[in-house]
Amino acid sequence: MFFFRYKSNLYPLIAIASALLILVFGLVMARTVFCSYFLLGAFVWMFLFGCWKQCLKALPLFIVFGGIFTTIAYFASDRNFDAALAMANRFGSVFLAIVPGMSVQAVAMTRNLSQLHTPRAITLGMLITMSFVPVLHGEIKRVREAMKTRGAGSILNPKIFYRAFLIPLVARLVDISDTLSVSIETRGFTLGKSKYTVYKKEVINIFDILYFSGLVAGVVLVCVL
Amino acid sequence: MSEDKKKQKQELAIAELIESTEEVNEENQTEVKIAKAESAEVTENENKIFRKYKIKDIVFLAIITACTLVTGAIMPLLVNVPLFGIIQLGLGLQFSLFPAIGMMKVRKPFALLLQSIFISIFLVFMFPPMVLIIVCAIVAEALTLLIFRGYKNDWACVFAGTLYMPMTIPLLYMYYNVFYTVSGEEKAAVSMFIGSGNVGVIIGITIAVIAVCFVGSLIGMIIARELKKAGKLK
Repeated sequence: MFFFRYKSNLYPLIAIASALLILVFGLVMARTVFCSYFLLGAFVWMFLFGCWKQCLKALPLFIVFGGIFTTIAYFASDRNFDAALAMANRFGSVFLAIVPGMSVQAVAMTRNLSQLHTPRAITLGMLITMSFVPVLHGEIKRVREAMKTRGAGSILNPKIFYRAFLIPLVARLVDISDTLSVSIETRGFTLGKSKYTVYKKEVINIFDILYFSGLVAGVVLVCVL
Repeated sequence: MSEDKKKQKQELAIAELIESTEEVNEENQTEVKIAKAESAEVTENENKIFRKYKIKDIVFLAIITACTLVTGAIMPLLVNVPLFGIIQLGLGLQFSLFPAIGMMKVRKPFALLLQSIFISIFLVFMFPPMVLIIVCAIVAEALTLLIFRGYKNDWACVFAGTLYMPMTIPLLYMYYNVFYTVSGEEKAAVSMFIGSGNVGVIIGITIAVIAVCFVGSLIGMIIARELKKAGKLK
């Protein structure tokens, strides 16, 4: 009955496909007003299908950056509304395409790729890359705090940036990488062709199909209109 | 009699001592032989162009890719600026510095390709045409292997790092040419994206991108050398 149960996260491959669809279609149809309607509809659609948190995160970014570039486009094109609309639509499609990506957890993506028999080196690398971003933010913060504590000077100075920021950061990353690889190896993880089991399999659900069908229907509707 | 016995005992002790010393010497020699054989195996392994990847290699490449990703997060903003080569100019430094460090640590073929595969999953959401960076990595690696026969030489890493990002210019040129003609009406924007059809602009921007990437790779190499000196990068 899992097929009919509501779930808040999208099937990873469906998320990628929907991101591609929104981005490509948004960029192609950027000059039309219908594209704006489509993007608005897609936003609501994603909101309904469990991506509301990501939608709310992407919205202020779109308003700020999209607003700046739309204003520039408007004045750069002699107050041409169409040019401004095209720019707004482009930014809208880019930020909306990021939403499904943000909704997919690193583990879910890895499981999905493992189910598809992707080489372990690739799934492991992707998992680490995806989950390392918050750790990296923390490390950057720590190095900057250390700079302040030592009174190293402004980070905007290239010499100080290199000596007091870049070198310690990379050295710290090397340390983390060594510890992490030992940790992975001690857990018996190998890169060989050993058999493995994916316990929590990512299964496509009716809501995934409904979500993607809705987006495709929107694309078709805009094309027909 | 007692003196003879003492002498005999002493001789026996000396003989035992000599025997044990010889045994220890033999053991030492075997150990040295084993160590020599092992080191010969390691050097032979290092001399090979294609070597097997270890988990620590994958982990380091993934972490360094995360750095590239975080610093390259401005991509969604750059893709909409209608200026030829703006993506490469904006991201050239990050996309050459970190891959160069990655290659300096993991001196194995496909290190660059693996980094591009790891980052491509994010580029799908940011700007799908940039997934073509995988193709660029393949070309850059192939050229590096042809010229330098591996990544032993530090300049091989700089070479691959320098070529990596500028290779996306022709691919994106083709993309904008094919893709934007779909809408048809945006001639002005398209011409700006693809360098206004001006060969001078195209060549100028391409040289600028190559220069930025070279500087990035060079900084990457210097950082890696410094860390190696400090014993951090083995």
